[in-house]
Amino acid sequence: MDTVHIDELDFGTLSMLDVRGTQIELLRAGSGAPLLFLHGLDGLEGAAAILAELARSFAVYAPSHPGFGGSASRDGLNRVDDLGYFYLDMMDQLGLDAPVVVGASFGGWVAAEILTKEPRRAAALVLASPFGLRTAERREQYVADIFMMSRKELGERMQVGAPGPLQDIMNLPEDRLRRAMRNDEAASHFGWTPYMCNPQLADRMHRIVCPTLIVWGAEDAIISPAYREAYARALPLAEVASIAGAGHRVHGDQAQQLAARITDFAGR
Amino acid sequence: MIIWQFSEQAYYPAFQRPGAMRVTLPQNQCDPREAGRLLNRYLDEYMLADELGLNIMINEHHAAATCMSTSCMTTLSILARQTQKARLLALGIPLANRSNPLRVAEEIAMVDCLSGGRLEVGLVKGAPYELFMSNRQPTGFMDRFWEAHDLIVAALANEGDNFSWQGEHFHYRTVSLWPRAIQAPHPPIWMTASSASSAREHGRLGYTCATFLSGAVARQVFMGYREAYAAQFGQQPGLDRLGYLAVVACADNRAEAYKRAEAMRSYFATAARCDPQFRNPWGFNPVEANVHALLGGRGGKAIPVYDSIDDYIKAGLMFVGTPDDVYEQLAAFHEETGGFGNLLMMGQAGELNHEDTVDSLTLIAKEVAPRLKELPDVPLETRYEAVG
Repeated sequence: MDTVHIDELDFGTLSMLDVRGTQIELLRAGSGAPLLFLHGLDGLEGAAAILAELARSFAVYAPSHPGFGGSASRDGLNRVDDLGYFYLDMMDQLGLDAPVVVGASFGGWVAAEILTKEPRRAAALVLASPFGLRTAERREQYVADIFMMSRKELGERMQVGAPGPLQDIMNLPEDRLRRAMRNDEAASHFGWTPYMCNPQLADRMHRIVCPTLIVWGAEDAIISPAYREAYARALPLAEVASIAGAGHRVHGDQAQQLAARITDFAGR
Repeated sequence: MIIWQFSEQAYYPAFQRPGAMRVTLPQNQCDPREAGRLLNRYLDEYMLADELGLNIMINEHHAAATCMSTSCMTTLSILARQTQKARLLALGIPLANRSNPLRVAEEIAMVDCLSGGRLEVGLVKGAPYELFMSNRQPTGFMDRFWEAHDLIVAALANEGDNFSWQGEHFHYRTVSLWPRAIQAPHPPIWMTASSASSAREHGRLGYTCATFLSGAVARQVFMGYREAYAAQFGQQPGLDRLGYLAVVACADNRAEAYKRAEAMRSYFATAARCDPQFRNPWGFNPVEANVHALLGGRGGKAIPVYDSIDDYIKAGLMFVGTPDDVYEQLAAFHEETGGFGNLLMMGQAGELNHEDTVDSLTLIAKEVAPRLKELPDVPLETRYEAVG
């Protein structure tokens, strides 16, 4: 699988990394304290703005999750629980002992899986609009079902700003369209059922002991207030912030502000 | 060519309601007494088909006003007892949307017993929009289909000790069918194809291959099947290995037949009424298929909706007219496609009422079916002509 050139990630180096036989693409950018960024449903390219900001202060490591973007998938990687172990292997390989770990949306769930397994592997943790906890209880839905939405509706609900090119897939060139289709397939693979969560995760969250910041977009149209409260209960020591003028894709709507928050929090 | 009577058993009163006919249609739009009346009516028409010497095909769908049969095997368990001679085809059981393939095998065996060995079984993937009801994983759909297939065939054909099954997707401590199927090693298996490449897979296995409403594409589907079958078994498949599904409306005069066809055509429009996000759930189609479809400006394959009955006839989706007309249209289509031995006939569709259905079925059975039985095989040279 060849890495495609992605204009908006030009500020860093995108290259392939072999993690125990699985080829994944990894963006490296900037210098400073190490920071591992775990992207959301919009893929690595969807996080370009926040990654560019973070690269001003950190040595950023940003992989495409297995099955997403230009990263291969592998038999046996079926759950985000599996991705937790996968990333511990990758962190060992890269010598990332305890980086700042930032996860957005789906990537927030991945971050929680990693750190419930090895709590000492982060200097600080920032979860922006994270999935992972139970998204529904019988007839009560706490997180909107992205798989039931039209592309138009999903595009509109993911952020407060206008839907970007990633939400308007019909106009993407072929290589970018292929990445978008792989992102969708991987989101379905890991998040179809139980919907965007690991029912075991709540019972494991107490293991996360590093300084933790949870950030929500004040106008998130995907994740409900009840779910945000559940996250606060699961991580009672975490700091919680809400960013105005931001929807679910806080990293898209308010990249500078989110980066400033992360830099400030990690620097304490 | 032999005929299999088929109806989707629509709850057609809902067709008047605007919007989707699948997935999101609220169940409060169904009057259950009306549903019961219609279901019994459709069963009566199937029993008539049996009396008239036709075979029977049943399908299933979920959360759809277009098809009230939610289980092939529930419907067939009634017909297994209430019919005498008809072969009973389930086309099909949506394996990748089913959570319990052993239960599927049990139901097949039970209905085969009840019917005295008249069951034929279509094993199909399942409709993508029904993943929203089954909630089965969209990715790995085909892997799951084939593991379920292997288990069902192994269970039905087993003449030895009970066995256990620890697969990738399915796990059973003991597989034991009580009762077991009459037909050995198992009831005939059917699969469906809409392209030459999927038909080749069925040809290699020697299963009966049906294609639905595919018009001019049917020829390529059958070609693909024949090539793969011949390569695998060293001889051409019999026509009985191939089937084609279309709507048929017959009457003793052309005007009346067209009137009936008009009542049936709402099948095409309503079948297509499904919100686009449900037609292609994320992870269902391979990435390359999605890329190809989007670049081609196509949002997925939909059943064509035409302006006139003549357009449907021209496309090979409807055969309409007097018994002579229907015979001639079918004979011509038979030759165009290289020949097929099974006509899966929507003898009732859409809003066609009981009286018209009875009359149409009776005419077809008495005046068309005997002539179709004598339809000559298409010579090999003709089959291979003009195949691009």
